[in-house]
Parts: sequence; structure tokens; C-alpha cells
Amino acid sequence: MSSVLSNPLRLGLRQERVIPPQSLVIFGASGDLTHRKLIPALFELYLQRRIPSEFGIVGCARRPWTDNEFRAKMKIKLSKQISGNEKEWDTFSNYLFYESVDLQQSDHVVRLSKRLNEIDKIQATHGNRTFYLSVSPNFYASGCKALKDAGLLDDPKKSRVVIEKPFGRDYSTAKKLNKIVQSCADESQIYRIDHYLGKETVQNILVLRFANTIFEPIWNRNYISSVQITSSETVGVEDRAGYYESSGALRDMLQNHLTQMLAVTAMEPPGKFEPEAIRNEKAKVLQASKLADENEPWNCCIRGQYGDGGNSSNRLKGYRKEDGVHSNSTTETYVATKVFVDNWRWQGVPFYLRTGKRLPKRLGEIVLTFKDVPVHLFESTIINPAPNQLILRIQPNEGATFKFEVKSPGSGMKSRPVEMEFSYDESFGEPSDEGYVRLLADAMLSDPTLFTRSDEVEAAWKLYTPLIELMDNSPWKLPIHNYESMTWGPPESDQLLSKDNIFWRRP
Amino acid sequence: MKPQLTLQTPLELPNDEISNYLNQLWISEDSYNSGANTFSLIIWQPAWLEQHLVRAGLINGPITGYLSTEIVEVAKQFILDKGLPLTTSLSSNELFKLLEVNSADRDAEDFRGQFFESSISTLNPRRLITLAPTLNNNSGMKTFVSAYCPLSDSSAMQPICGDLVVFRGDSNSIVNQGLKIIDELSIDELPSWLWWNGNLDESSEIFEYFSNNGLRLIIDTALGSPNRCLKVLDQLIKSNKAINDLNWVRLKNWRESLAMIFDPPSRRPILDHITDIDLDIAGDHVLQGLFFVSWISDKLGWSFVSVNKDNELFKIEFKRRNGEKIHTSINPLPLGNPSIHLGQVIGLRLISKVSEEQRNNTCIILGCESVECMRLEAGGMADMQLIEQVVPNSFYSSESDVSKLLGSSRGNTSPLFENTIKIALQIFSAFNY
Repeated sequence: MSSVLSNPLRLGLRQERVIPPQSLVIFGASGDLTHRKLIPALFELYLQRRIPSEFGIVGCARRPWTDNEFRAKMKIKLSKQISGNEKEWDTFSNYLFYESVDLQQSDHVVRLSKRLNEIDKIQATHGNRTFYLSVSPNFYASGCKALKDAGLLDDPKKSRVVIEKPFGRDYSTAKKLNKIVQSCADESQIYRIDHYLGKETVQNILVLRFANTIFEPIWNRNYISSVQITSSETVGVEDRAGYYESSGALRDMLQNHLTQMLAVTAMEPPGKFEPEAIRNEKAKVLQASKLADENEPWNCCIRGQYGDGGNSSNRLKGYRKEDGVHSNSTTETYVATKVFVDNWRWQGVPFYLRTGKRLPKRLGEIVLTFKDVPVHLFESTIINPAPNQLILRIQPNEGATFKFEVKSPGSGMKSRPVEMEFSYDESFGEPSDEGYVRLLADAMLSDPTLFTRSDEVEAAWKLYTPLIELMDNSPWKLPIHNYESMTWGPPESDQLLSKDNIFWRRP
Repeated sequence: MKPQLTLQTPLELPNDEISNYLNQLWISEDSYNSGANTFSLIIWQPAWLEQHLVRAGLINGPITGYLSTEIVEVAKQFILDKGLPLTTSLSSNELFKLLEVNSADRDAEDFRGQFFESSISTLNPRRLITLAPTLNNNSGMKTFVSAYCPLSDSSAMQPICGDLVVFRGDSNSIVNQGLKIIDELSIDELPSWLWWNGNLDESSEIFEYFSNNGLRLIIDTALGSPNRCLKVLDQLIKSNKAINDLNWVRLKNWRESLAMIFDPPSRRPILDHITDIDLDIAGDHVLQGLFFVSWISDKLGWSFVSVNKDNELFKIEFKRRNGEKIHTSINPLPLGNPSIHLGQVIGLRLISKVSEEQRNNTCIILGCESVECMRLEAGGMADMQLIEQVVPNSFYSSESDVSKLLGSSRGNTSPLFENTIKIALQIFSAFNY
């Protein structure tokens, strides 16, 4: 994003929703997510003047910190964001409180409850609370139970629980977890976060589809031949080996982020722009989705793991040589799969989803490839006329590109592809909010539109159950293919598409 | 959305029984339902045009207070038939006087206060109090009361109910009797709004009573003389009263469209070199145009230098921080089929000069959907880089704009509007209107 002054005529025109008075309680406040995402997002909301004066942020973790220690630690961790906004940080940090809490200890939660009552009085937050479980997934169920037992979830209008991914390890654990969580709180109080849905560009898919007349009539099997959804990272496992070894690309990315992008791309128009109407449509799409070959799922999925790579100046070590990774690890760092959505709109249209680490580019995109024209009247300047493609770029360089054929200049009648481009940066020149800014605000505003409902989560796990069972019971049928770091995954993933005479788009 | 009627016919009650009746209503009707916990809304609802048209037999009624397409069409036809200028405003005294002359003494049922748009009823106001002045100066005052429960789309939801009170009678009776009761009807714990759905020139005693009463005000400065409207704004600003002006709300599309032009960072430098802004407005009610120019100058940090009137043309000069002058003008244009809202902005031309070479300079033209912008396009602008955009007409009814304010505003004056008013007042006082 280029650094430009804001549009002065735009200042004050946006009608942002103001968050109602409340306390945001973060469990796992000493963890990475708190200082990397949550507090920066809250500080950003503060700078946008969307945090009311009656507000409190209560960090909770086992470490015996004081309010001031918590404030000081956050100040150090957020030094980059604070730079230039020191005065604002000083005021903002008055919202920060800390309580040493072990969620497994009921007396700790009772103590927390009393502290929250005190903060209610000091900050005038009216007992309105959002609890953010930024803890190990193993503690989601017990955390919710502890909150319920302390009576902190009794009022469905005044308390909400935000739960991070992963929500379960497979269909049965997700179902079980849903049952426990729903026994502690009403579904309307539960906000399962998927930060991809907080991205402006993912939300823009809804606007692009349902605020324009021209796309919806062709957004179906009659005009679209295939859909590719890609999320690639250049980084390796970094310092997340402990978590990643038990997770892998399928559980970490495919089941949630990519599947949510599929849902938003393939859903039917909702009757109203209301949370339940949208979530109903997304759930229906996921329930109608299935692997391209459920009986022999190894035919429609490729797993990979990055090996050594890079160049002489920047040698990159393979996954098995990373710190904390088992030397014979069979955890996939790359997964590609083919899915069908079995409904009237999408019957027969393959959706190819891929995600991986140590790929050549950091990128998220959705590519809709349209069917070929019935008759090629014109010769192309390249071998064949390229099919029309609509490319929705989720990150970076957020925007959209439409590829179509035009007459190549000259006396002949040859066609050649050109691109029509929309870039957020060029059109608006203002960085869009981080996903967490949007989602935290939505949770505190009790707006569940961009959070996944229990049936969506379960349907997404169910979709990949044949693959998960295969990985757990007969992993040799779904082997791990090695790929060189900084390449586009194992060659076998190309074959997944070439069988259909299609190729991955090289972004 | 279609207007809604209350299911129950409002009950006519003596004034001294109203308060007691309303208190009893919520106790006896449903012990679980003590009424919506939302807001009270008082509406000044004169509907003079509608009343005159009914009396002249040009429409059949019932009188609703809602400015329907039929009312507008019939009034415009009347203007045409009687040879009045096509630019005649639908709220002008001239029109009302002529309708009075053509009175056929017809009457119709008066549903004001019990007939309101669903965009407002879906907000579940707890108490709607309608002041419905009649044309007849000696009609006395009658008071009607009813409970109402807007029906929800969702059958699972328990209806959220409110009540309504209508004071119908001549303005004097409303002043003498109605205002005394209204205090008793206020619900202290809920915010109270006043929507002055009439001309700001009229019934100033009633308006001032409410504006001094701490209510959140919704007014329309397109109704009433610019002089009086600005005086009202001046008083309200000085006394720190919350103001919501529908004339400002209707300017939103223009402010948004102009801001949109400068969203691409590559266009931002244009803003630093603006030399001229010309605004076209429909009719001679200058306030909305003045708001628009004042808002631009506030956002771009210009200071006001001078104003003068050349025939009908307002010429206002501003100064940038670096001392460069910016010439702006507001041009009232007569339109054959004017908007029901007086003085609507219909076109804007903005010129930014970075060099002597015309082709390096930029001309931005915003035009509304229904009016040609030939005038703004003339004068050699074609040699400049031209950016043109059509601003969508605002088709929302006043009721719809009011419901948005009720639903989203905390009742305070928008800081953008507050700054705009201050500059507009500065310009106007310099002009000594």
C-alpha cells in the first residue's frame, strides 16, 4: 500500500457503527495472538474512534501480572503501531486491565467475575461482556463450562464468547465441541472466528455478486467451467511447529479459510442481508459439497511437504529439518483437492482448492474460469483463445481482474487476451482494516454475519471426512509428496487438474 | 413500504384523562408488556397542502400527512391550470392562497397521527405524539389516543407495542391546551425527538417551546425562508441544541459523490489547486448550496473572505492557507418541474488549475440525473481533463430520512454539519441577508 494522505472529503463521511459499552475479556492474554492481532486491532478501533469511553479490555492468563505490567508489555510489543500515536496509546492503555486466571480453577473464574463487576462500576460497562478464548483448542470446552458455572454467560443479550480456530479436529470432535459449547451458551452468543471472513475482499465477493446485475446470471454451471481457490504462503512453519505437527494444511487452512471462501463464492443469494439468512445459504452450500471422488478420495486430493529449496544466497531448509518438527513427519504443508457442489447451480463444476507453505508467492485468490465460446470465429495471436476469467484477489494487491478477448491491432482479425483491472489501492488509496479489526468489532456489536455457525463448521468437517479418515487410517493411500521450497507444490497436484485438461493458474 | 394504520380506532378523550388513560393502558392490557423501550417522537404535522387540496375537492382524502405522489401531481397540475409559474414551490403561501380562493368546503377524514410510514413504525417508537393543526381557525382541539403494535415479519417475535396521541385542532388551541398536556406525556427515561414536518416560518411559538425543551430536533431547512432557517440554526447552535436537518441529509449523495471522485490517490493533488466552484441549485432557496460550499471549504481548510450577490448569483470567495483565492458561485436556476424540496443542488463544476496550459488542468462536473449540465459544460472546459459523474437523485421520502436518523443517530448534531453551519452563518452574516 502506497503511503498517501487520506482523502479530506472522505473524513467523517463513513458512518461506522459504534461499539456499545462493554468489557472485552481475553483469555490467553500472554499469548502471541493477543499482542500480534487482538490488541493492535483494538487500538486501531480506538484510533478510528469506534471504542466508546465506557470500555474495558481485561487480559487473562496464568502469569501473575498486574494491570500496569500488562500495559507495559503490550506497549513494548506494539511499539511499531504506537509510534506516532503515543498520546493516543496513553489514553487507550487506561482501558487495559489484567487478571491472573487459570480457567481450570473455578475459584479463579469466580475472582474474575468479581473483578469484572468492579470494572463495570469503574468503566460503566453495564455488565456487557465479550469473552475471547485465545487459548489452546483443548481448553475451549472447559473454558466455556467455567464461564457458564460462574454465571458469566447467563444473559444472552449481555455476554458473548468468541472462539478461535481450529474448532475441533474432525467432524465428530467438532460436533462434540458444539454440543458442549451450546450447553453453556445459546448459539446466538457463540462467535466462531475465521479471520478470512473479516477480509474486505472476501466480503466484497458478496457485494460483487449480489449488488450487480451482470454477474449473477452467469454465476453458474451454464457459464462457468471451473473454480480455483488458492491460498499460498511463502513462509514455512516458523515457530508454530508444535501446533502445526498435529494440524497440517488441511486442518489449518483448507477446512476453514478455503472452505469459507468456497461457501461465499458458491452460495445462493440470501433473501435479506441478515446474519441468519447469509449463514443459512453458506451452510446449504457446504452441506451440498462433496469430494470429487468420495469412494476413492485419494483420486481427488494431493498432499505435499516442502523440502529444501531457495537459492545460493538464501538456502531454505525442508519441513522435516525445521525446529520442533519430527524428522519423519508426515504432516502435510500443502494440500490440493477437487470438490463438487451438488446442487442445481453448480452441478458438474469442479472447485479446485489448494493451500501450502513455502510457495513462491503469498497470495489468496479465487479464479472463475468461464466456458469456451461455442465456435472460434477468430484466430488467436496465441495458440488458443483464452477463456474468460474473473480473478478475485483476496491478498495482496486486493482487487479483481477480468480477462477477455479483444481484436489484436492490425489488418487481420486475430484475437488476443486483455485484462480489465480493479485495484482497491488505486481506487480507494486507503488500506482496508485487518480482518481482526472488523471481526472484533462485529462480535462486540453482536453481529454474527461473518462468524461461522455450528452447522457450517460441522458441514465443513464432514466434507473432508473421507480424507481425514484416510490420513488417520491408511495414510499410505494419501502419500506425502515432497516439493522444493518456493515452487508451486508437488508436480502431482498439476496432474489433479491436467486429468480434466485444466491447469492451475500461475499468479 | 406502505403506510400503516393503527388496528384500533383511536379513542377520543378529554385532555385531563389522557395521561391517566395511557398509564392504565399498559397495566391493564398485558402485564408482560410495558411498551417498547425505544423513544418518543413528537411530530408537527400541518399537511397544509393536503388539507387545501381536500378542501378544494381536488383530492378525496383521507388526510394522512404523508406527501404522496398523488398530492404532488395534483398540486403541480393545479399550478399549471392556474397559470402560476412552474417554479412555484408546493409549500408557498401563494399556492395556498390560490387554493383557498378555490375552496369547495369539502372535508375528509383526518388520519394524521394514526397513519404513519412503516419505516418509522418498524423502529417501534414508544410514544408518537402528533400535533395536527387544522385550516379551520376555530375548531378547538380534540385529543385521540390509541395503543398500537406493529406487526413483525417474524412470527416468533412478541409484538413490541407503543401508544399514540393526536392533538387535532387550530394552532391556537394546540398552543393553549396541547402544550400543557405534552409535558405530562413525556417519558423521562427515553430519548424524545421532535420532527418539525413543516415550514420553519410558521408557529414559531410552538417550535420554540419544543426547541427549549431539550428535545432532539429534526427540521428541514428547505422549508421556510433561508433567513429564518439560518436564524433557527444559529440559535440552536449557540444554545448547544442537537440539530438534524433533512436538507443536509439530502445533500449526502452529493458529498459522497464528490468524495468518491478523490478516492483514487492519483487525483488527490487536484484538491490543492482548486480555483473555481460553481453550483447550480433548483429555485432560489440558497441554503443547501450554501451548506455544500461550506462543507467543501471546511474539509479543505479554506477560510471565508467575502460574499456578494450579483443578480440572483451568490459569489463567495475563499482563501487557501497559502493565500490563493478560490471563487465559488451559487446559481439559482428556474426548473420546469422542480423538486418538492426547494433549492436542491443540481450541478457542480469544480476547476483545478495546475498550469497555464489548459490540458494540464482538470474540470470536474457532477450533475444530477434529471437535469442537463450543458451550462456547466460550456466555456472551454472540454480542453481540460474532464471528470464527469452523475449523482443519483434521492428518492427517499422525508419519513424514510427521518427513520434513518431515528435509527442511527444518537441525537447529537453531526460534527460535519456543525462545522458547516458555522461557516454558512459566517457567509450569511457577511452578506447581511
